[in-house]
Amino acid sequence: MMWLSGGFIFRRGTSVYHRLDPRVKLLISSLMFVTTLLVRSLYELAMVIAFMVAVAAVATVLRRVARTMALTFIFSTVIFVLNLIVTKNLETSALYAVRFVAIVVSTSLFFITTSPDELEQVMKTFRLPRDVVFAFVTAVRFIPVMMLDTLQIMDAQKSRGLELEKGNIIRRVRNMIPVLIPLVVNSVVRSGELAEAMESRAYGAVRRPTSLVEYKASWADKVVAFAAVAIFVLTAYSFYFVLPTTVL
Amino acid sequence: MANILEIEGLSFRYPDSTRKAVVDFHLAVPEGEIVVLAGPSGCGKSTLLRAVNGLIPHMYSGEYSGDVRVGGASVKSSTMTDLAQRVGFLFQNPENQIFMFTVERDIAFGLENLGVPRPEIRSRVDEAMGLLGIGELALRAPYELSDGQKQRVALAGVLAMRPRLVILDEPTSLLDPKTAAELVGIVAKLRLDLGMTFLVVEHRLDLLVKLADRLVVMNEGKKVLEGTPREVLFGGEAEAYGVSVPAVTKVQKLLASDGLVREDELLSAQELAAAVRSAEA
Ligand SMILES: Nc1ncnc2c1ncn2[C@@H]1O[C@H](COP(=O)(O)OP(=O)(O)OP(=O)(O)O)[C@@H](O)[C@H]1O
Ligand SMILES: [Mg+2]
Repeated sequence: MMWLSGGFIFRRGTSVYHRLDPRVKLLISSLMFVTTLLVRSLYELAMVIAFMVAVAAVATVLRRVARTMALTFIFSTVIFVLNLIVTKNLETSALYAVRFVAIVVSTSLFFITTSPDELEQVMKTFRLPRDVVFAFVTAVRFIPVMMLDTLQIMDAQKSRGLELEKGNIIRRVRNMIPVLIPLVVNSVVRSGELAEAMESRAYGAVRRPTSLVEYKASWADKVVAFAAVAIFVLTAYSFYFVLPTTVL
Repeated sequence: MANILEIEGLSFRYPDSTRKAVVDFHLAVPEGEIVVLAGPSGCGKSTLLRAVNGLIPHMYSGEYSGDVRVGGASVKSSTMTDLAQRVGFLFQNPENQIFMFTVERDIAFGLENLGVPRPEIRSRVDEAMGLLGIGELALRAPYELSDGQKQRVALAGVLAMRPRLVILDEPTSLLDPKTAAELVGIVAKLRLDLGMTFLVVEHRLDLLVKLADRLVVMNEGKKVLEGTPREVLFGGEAEAYGVSVPAVTKVQKLLASDGLVREDELLSAQELAAAVRSAEA
């Protein structure tokens, strides 16, 4: 949970990267993601990761990305060990393990630099139905509220003698029930109230709602997008035709 | 002045309930009035408000009889979209009526839904923020707001639609006394400047009695008392329905029984102070 929230939750930033059009940021992250899948050696993977670190530096989120990397380390160790058992090949196992880190970093770079507002914009440009976009918007909007809710319920139940940190794993999961039930009840009440408030503010009145803010890709956005595609093509080309292939 | 709201013989029963939540209710509210609705928990106050903005019968099915008219048009035969523009509803919990990630986008929500052109949305959002003095919060996220600020943002979202009638369901119940007093001040200002009409469900009568033109007390779905706050609070029946009489009124009654002030019907601390002074003179 913590590593997820640290590595994927947006915080306001003022870097040039933050100010890019969200669609361009999505493009960059997607291309980096695909590149990690094209990689066939640790050497190539190191180059890709170096590139991601450079992007993180431009976006002034190096520290957070570093923490994400450190936290994914546990998972990649598991991947490494499992692969080693199955393939008995050190380099392939290492490649899979490090690739996992790279995938997480490419994804988290998008999420930590893109505000929920921008995410909504991206979804709209993909012409997703209004209801789907709105469901997503409210889900993200209420994450901090639900987190606070959970903490409050936990405190309340603890003060009534519930011991959350005691016992074996089964016992601990069972102990979460008195926390989960009020949480579910709260959410049901909340969705009822949300539905009433939506109706009262003309939700669904017209097929094509307008928007207060307008996102337009500037020429700088377009240049960056073009450069990203060019770098991607060059990298893919060099992976297959220029650099020597080692494994896979 | 013409009545902006007319409720005629309204009865409503929720589908999964055996008892009617509102029973043969009548009320007429002239434009520009502030009407306070009080009564014990579960007496049907929120249900009545839902019937005013159309959530009943458009969202809640159930047994409905009688008629509710807003600005002359029957709620039953109006659409929710139409009603959303004429009746603003501020719900009890501001948290659950803020949808978007920034204050200004949330205030714009209703207008976006209506398909209002962007420049018009911009000016109406700015206007609403100006009315409530929250311009500097425009780009904040909901979790960066205090309860009082959330309440104002929610109200701004309602005002951006420029309703003539605003209904508030226990608007101060989650606020501290100072913030609650500020909200009441905003209501007073909106009535004065824009001539808006307010129907307010409220327990904290001490804050609103000075402002309200009328106090309506409900019990078990029925209207049991109606009049000016003075008439209702000094009628002697209000306390029986759990309506809390302001402390000033109680103090004045005690002083009057000791012969220290005249037996006047006083509602505010200022009035009481004046009475004590004149008694001393
Ligand atoms: N959605 C619903 N479905 C079924 N019954 C409901 C629903 N909402 C309210 N009721 C019932 O209708 C009656 C009136 O409820 P209502 O919420 O209008 O009271 P209220 O005066 O607003 O109370 P409170 O002061 O506690 O907010 C109650 O008996 C309540 O249980
Ligand atoms: Mg209520």
